[in-house]
Amino acid sequence: MAAAALRPAILRHIRLSPAMAAPLVGATAAGQPLALARWLARPMSSHDAHLTRDEVVDRVLDVIKCHPKVDPSKVTPEAHFEKDLGLDSLDTVEVVMAIEEEFKLEIPDLEADKINSLPLAIEYVANHPMAG
Amino acid sequence: MAAAGPAKTEVLSLFRAFLRTARQFSDYNIREYTRRRAADAFRENRALADAPAAAAAFADGKQQLEVAKRQVLVYSLYAPKAKSVVEMKIQ
Repeated sequence: MAAAALRPAILRHIRLSPAMAAPLVGATAAGQPLALARWLARPMSSHDAHLTRDEVVDRVLDVIKCHPKVDPSKVTPEAHFEKDLGLDSLDTVEVVMAIEEEFKLEIPDLEADKINSLPLAIEYVANHPMAG
Repeated sequence: MAAAGPAKTEVLSLFRAFLRTARQFSDYNIREYTRRRAADAFRENRALADAPAAAAAFADGKQQLEVAKRQVLVYSLYAPKAKSVVEMKIQ
């Protein structure tokens, strides 16, 4: 029958391969270190969609490159808005607002005034718990 | 001393308030116009050397911000049902 023919095929997919099962056994036998490492690697909150630093860097760079007054070839993760990219203080406000919009944040004025370079912007976004 | 010019941080924070208000317009055209108009006006007045003129421009800007805030409310009552074609391309 068709079901009988299907059964081994399904089981083959479901069954754990020996290679996958071995580390699990090893971990319990060898003791804590591996298990602890795995437990720590797991996100501890339900908010596990947090951005990685690389993703933040990429998206911040994209936002800056899209700004009409910026020369995209000059944009690096170390660039200073005024010294390297030739932006003035009004442009900087616009750029920081664009970053806010990209990550759905609201940066308070006091903080936004301090962000005058890409490293600061990246650091602010990467450390912000609500950045999305 | 009555007409001291506004501090740089005050001006930048007024500009930021404009951009924040502009972004609340539901209509693409009004939203972009407000943003553009604010950016142009701040650039135009950035070179104002004497304090009284700068203070007057700053006071005018504050008034315009209140107008923009009221208009956000008014426009929200008559929000367009469909998005602009331009916005659809962005998505």
